[in-house]
Amino acid sequence: MSHQDSAIQTAEEHGHSLQMGESNFAGPDRPTWELYATCVHCGLCLNHCPTYRVLGMEMDSPRGRIYQVLQVDAGRLPIAESFVTHIDRCLDCRACESACPSGVQYGHIVERARAQIEQHYQRPWLARQIRSFFYRHVLGDRKRLSQIATLLRFYQRSGLQSLAQHCGALKLIGMAELDRLQPRVDDRFFFEQFGQVFPASGERRARVAFHAGCIASVAFSALNEATVRVLTKNGIEVCVPAGQNCCGALQAHAGFRDEARALARQNIAAMLDDRFDAVVTNAAGCGSTLKEYGDLLREDGQCSDAERFAEKVKDVTEFLSSIGLRPPERQMKLKATYQDPCHLAHGQRIRNPPRELLRAVGIELEEMPHSDQCCGSAGSYNVTQNELSMKILDAKMNDVSSTSAELVVTANVGCMLQLRAGMDRAGLNLPVKHVIEVLDECY
Amino acid sequence: MSSGISIRHDIVPQLEQLLGPEAVFVSDLQRYSIDGVLPTAVARPGSAEQIPALLKIANEQNWTVVSFGGGTRQQVGQTIERIDIVLSTERLDKIENYDPGDLTIAVQSGARVDSVSTACAQHRQLLALEAPAGATIGGALAANESGPLRAGFGAPRDFCIGVNFVTGDGVKGRGGGRVVKNVAGYDLMKLMIGSFGTLGVIVSANFKLFPLAQQTATFITEFDSVAQAIQVRDWLLRSPLAPISAELINPTASEYLTNRAPRDPDSWAPEAPSQQKKRWMLALRFAGSDRLLARCRKELAFASPRDLTEAEQMAFWRAVAGFEATAIERHRNGMIFHVSAPLAESQNVIEAAQGAATDYNFVASTIARVTVGTLVIAFLPLAVDPPGATQFASAASHFRSRLSRGASAVVMRCPLEAKPQFDLWGSTPSDIALMRKIKRAFDPNNILNRGRFLVE
Amino acid sequence: MFSFGIASKLKKIVGRDSVLDRAEDLMLYEYDGSLARGMPNFVVFPQNTEQVSAIMKLACSEQLSVIPRGAGTGLSGGAIARRGGIVLSLARMNRILEIDVANLRATVQPGVVNLDLSAALAPQGFYFAPDPSSQKACTIGGNVAENSGGPHTLVSGVTVNHVTGIEVVLPDGRIAQLGSKSANAAGYDLPGVFVGSEGTFGIATAITVKICRLPESVATLLSIYDDVQDAANTVVALTTEGITPAAIEMLDGWTLRAVEAYVHAGYPLDSAAVLLIELEGLREAVDEQAEIVSAVCRRAGAREVRRAKDENERQLLWKGRKTAFGAIGRVSPSYYVQDGVIPRTRVPETLRKIEEVGKKHSLTIGNIFHAGDGNLHPLILFDARDEQQTRRTLEAGREILEFCISVGGSITGEHGVGMEKQDLMSSLFSDSELEVMARLRKCFNPDSVLNPQKLLPSIRTCRETVMPGHASLDAPVASGAELR
Repeated sequence: MSHQDSAIQTAEEHGHSLQMGESNFAGPDRPTWELYATCVHCGLCLNHCPTYRVLGMEMDSPRGRIYQVLQVDAGRLPIAESFVTHIDRCLDCRACESACPSGVQYGHIVERARAQIEQHYQRPWLARQIRSFFYRHVLGDRKRLSQIATLLRFYQRSGLQSLAQHCGALKLIGMAELDRLQPRVDDRFFFEQFGQVFPASGERRARVAFHAGCIASVAFSALNEATVRVLTKNGIEVCVPAGQNCCGALQAHAGFRDEARALARQNIAAMLDDRFDAVVTNAAGCGSTLKEYGDLLREDGQCSDAERFAEKVKDVTEFLSSIGLRPPERQMKLKATYQDPCHLAHGQRIRNPPRELLRAVGIELEEMPHSDQCCGSAGSYNVTQNELSMKILDAKMNDVSSTSAELVVTANVGCMLQLRAGMDRAGLNLPVKHVIEVLDECY
Repeated sequence: MSSGISIRHDIVPQLEQLLGPEAVFVSDLQRYSIDGVLPTAVARPGSAEQIPALLKIANEQNWTVVSFGGGTRQQVGQTIERIDIVLSTERLDKIENYDPGDLTIAVQSGARVDSVSTACAQHRQLLALEAPAGATIGGALAANESGPLRAGFGAPRDFCIGVNFVTGDGVKGRGGGRVVKNVAGYDLMKLMIGSFGTLGVIVSANFKLFPLAQQTATFITEFDSVAQAIQVRDWLLRSPLAPISAELINPTASEYLTNRAPRDPDSWAPEAPSQQKKRWMLALRFAGSDRLLARCRKELAFASPRDLTEAEQMAFWRAVAGFEATAIERHRNGMIFHVSAPLAESQNVIEAAQGAATDYNFVASTIARVTVGTLVIAFLPLAVDPPGATQFASAASHFRSRLSRGASAVVMRCPLEAKPQFDLWGSTPSDIALMRKIKRAFDPNNILNRGRFLVE
Repeated sequence: MFSFGIASKLKKIVGRDSVLDRAEDLMLYEYDGSLARGMPNFVVFPQNTEQVSAIMKLACSEQLSVIPRGAGTGLSGGAIARRGGIVLSLARMNRILEIDVANLRATVQPGVVNLDLSAALAPQGFYFAPDPSSQKACTIGGNVAENSGGPHTLVSGVTVNHVTGIEVVLPDGRIAQLGSKSANAAGYDLPGVFVGSEGTFGIATAITVKICRLPESVATLLSIYDDVQDAANTVVALTTEGITPAAIEMLDGWTLRAVEAYVHAGYPLDSAAVLLIELEGLREAVDEQAEIVSAVCRRAGAREVRRAKDENERQLLWKGRKTAFGAIGRVSPSYYVQDGVIPRTRVPETLRKIEEVGKKHSLTIGNIFHAGDGNLHPLILFDARDEQQTRRTLEAGREILEFCISVGGSITGEHGVGMEKQDLMSSLFSDSELEVMARLRKCFNPDSVLNPQKLLPSIRTCRETVMPGHASLDAPVASGAELR
């Protein structure tokens, strides 16, 4: 209304060059008016946003990011350094979606904004090369991922890593934090299990396709194996379809939506099958993306398949809790605290199932404050926005240490890595485990 | 700012012209004398509309004005050297609007607090304003009166929802309105409450009412020391119990809650506490159903309280509310403090008063509103070797020096001859410079209660 | 227009990363929770009182206005820079300075989030009573500025009833103390008059509030009606019965359906209105009153009265209420929320009037009430891309508030006047009454350095010049999504 005019007048009066005009968005994957106009800028999201809590500025809040998207669409703000900085800083944790009374689909908005950035913004040369290599040529390519993982394994095992750590070389080049965050590469990759079927023990209660994930298959094979064991011990037949691929989450979050779409199509083709009662994943980030294939492929003909597929996707905790655990062989008498992975709590609205499973094996849960706030891992965020990520992590560690828990449990590999790095930083000595690892110890 | 060029012989004819002769009095002025100072004239406007005009002229002519309700607090503050006009609100005594369904009432400032309360009680509703007998609505607000019910219902700032007033230069001001929730405009109620008539003349006010309790119970517990009593108070503050009154009464104060006929005021002496078996008394009053009261009784059982009967309750609380009046009635030379201090300081305040009183030949009688943090403390002179004028000042300064910076101790009454000896208002944690600015803005020529208040 | 000098002076005071002066950053501070817009020249993020004071001194000498801002959730445009200047964000002054259980007080910096204080108090069995619906985001500094209320103000009062001491920085940079931890302080009640001054008196840099015991028992009842008038009559009947619930909230049928779609709180979709009634206190009192309240509701025509079985169900019922405004965003791209107050007994006729206004302007109007204290929040739905409809919406809003005034009510119960309702102040207050208020403001803020052109209508404020059209809400709308 008039105030809007006055805003522009004010801007002009004071010599700012912000003019309304043509939208600066173009091409596919535009954030639409229908998406962002549901935001009534009430601000209820602010305090739930990890970056706002740390930085205290509107630009780094969900409301502010939506406003920036709106301004780009109104032609008042270019897709330039400032816009990119603040959109990049978003963890895409979607805690704001849980807080939002208007049901704003923030994740969809920010992913589209990132798609627009990829289309219209020239990042510096090196960043461009790395991002393109990583998102286009590594994650979705089993062979190349294996090669890189093997190299990394050599670095980790040959003594090079410890040499680098001890001589301070990493600190010197500012890589010490990043080094701490890298996963330990497995001796044997889970890719070897692709195409296998693991029969249910005892009476078969269900049959599922297991989505193993890309990085999880080279760095968390043990967790994947544990997942298979826990499922089969609970009477579930587990197939690991050979044609599956990376879920495309990291690509979609980074704005590489075409790459994500290609992967989505592969996964649907490999795993949408009436023989399976569900498609199960043990990674919250993957699950949340798999469940949103419908939105990803909206402009595709495959939309209805994608939606049917999405309905079948279940987080492993969600699935186990829905069919009920068989009585465990052992009880675990421990006091633990549970960190909600963002893409489970906010992305999939799953909060109780993991907690129920933990209680079912005898764990006493003590809630930490802000358990559903991001730990700062957020896919590749802890690498790309390391400094901010570490601030968020330190706050998380404060919350953890305010409990008397002997164990921290979560349900996503990215969170596990981050939390372990946090323990290191804070000098806490608590083990960090996946819900499935805890269950595995009880069967 | 002082008298200067006012033409005082004009006052009466001008007032008569303005208000009509029936509204201006020059006889029977004794009733309106304040600290022995007689006004030149008494104006008793019959309509609120006359007040702005009156104050406008007074402001122009530099006539000093004292607004006057029931006269129950006119002795507060420094003596006013010259009073040209007493503006009595006694004819502005109507209830302007009362719809029991809304639980609100609008009253003119000259209405007596007790008669408005009675009107509300007929609809089983409570006006939580407690004031000395005879006080008016306007006066009670100006003096920020409160009593034992403050624990349950708050102070005037909590239930006065609107106020109409006229500034010193005759401009009509208003804050709030007739609805219980309202943030339109500045909260001028807060400014008028407790301003002792220095910022404007209150013309009418609106209040939020409360449903009258079906029944109440009063429990009296006794203690040998103040520390024990405060311990129970601290327990109470953390318990789920919510008394509507919670008063800690020191052993000497309890003497003033009985109906013994006053002896000769000048020779009445409080009996020395040490010779008495009297103890510290914590009086708690609760409102609610039988089951609720039974629960309170159960929770308090550890302190083995005495339950007052219905008739005893009435008498007891009337006596508590009348403590100040009783004390003054028996000791014309008493000094009364109204103290407000952080809750954790209650015991310190009580002991500081005791100490300062003893040092200067007084006995301190204290009633502490212990869940609120306000106290009424009477420094009562011993008949043997009664204190001289400067001793009041010394006792007060000694007492105040032992309070924390957040506390206030205002002298509400002391002998006339002691008044010039010291600062009756004491220090305040609030910003004086701002108060002075506000005074100048609302009463530019300083005609209202000139010389009386803390900001002078 | 402004020299590089001011930015660098500000940076000297608060540090390089605590000043914004680029247009693309400043535009993020041109909005708050309301419909208003206005871009500042600078945004600063002070971390302590001394910095606030230094900023004020600088602003004074440079004749720049300063607009304090908390979380920017306000609904009346209080945090909007109407004519540029410095937005002073208190978001980084967010420390709880002291929790003093012995004195039943807490002292906080202004940027502390309302619910964060209650969360910090909970382990000791206490909470901060004012509970605006935005409490999970709004700051206590903002609550002080707006004198915020909430559903539970019916029994526990608004912010002013819970503030006893404030450290403020005045427009000239002087640091002043108003009140203390005591219940009252000798002299004028400065904290009392400061609360609700909407950032036009000074900047609160430390706030001492009362803390309250968490109630032993809470009962939440949902009373369901087939006729909205019966719901309105229940409110009056409860008063007559002598019961003061902790909260009485009302949602009309249209609103509760919109909310139910989001929250699944269990509001029956086919009803015409629900009352959410909360009782708190000792177990015994709550149980007894719950029965009386149920009986009163049924007598007044409720088709069903439910009591929340457990804390989860209670939270769910409240979630429906507390997120109601936002939930409307799912139904309509834009809405305009009003904040009128009427005497309780006038609720039935006011509802009829609102319906009439809606019909007259062909607008859907949902109703959410703090029914117990007569504070209504009609939500007028519109599509801001439709200029005609937008005009009708603003007109409807005005008609509703004018009706509130005509029955002895007020134009705002808790959202504040800000820049949204400035004009209506002249309908509510006479010229002389407004002049008295302007005098008071001058005592604190003589040159209107702080939050200019707010609260008092522009004609009252001789020192301020207003561009035509600014103060009115009837100018054409430029782009839809910027409105609700």
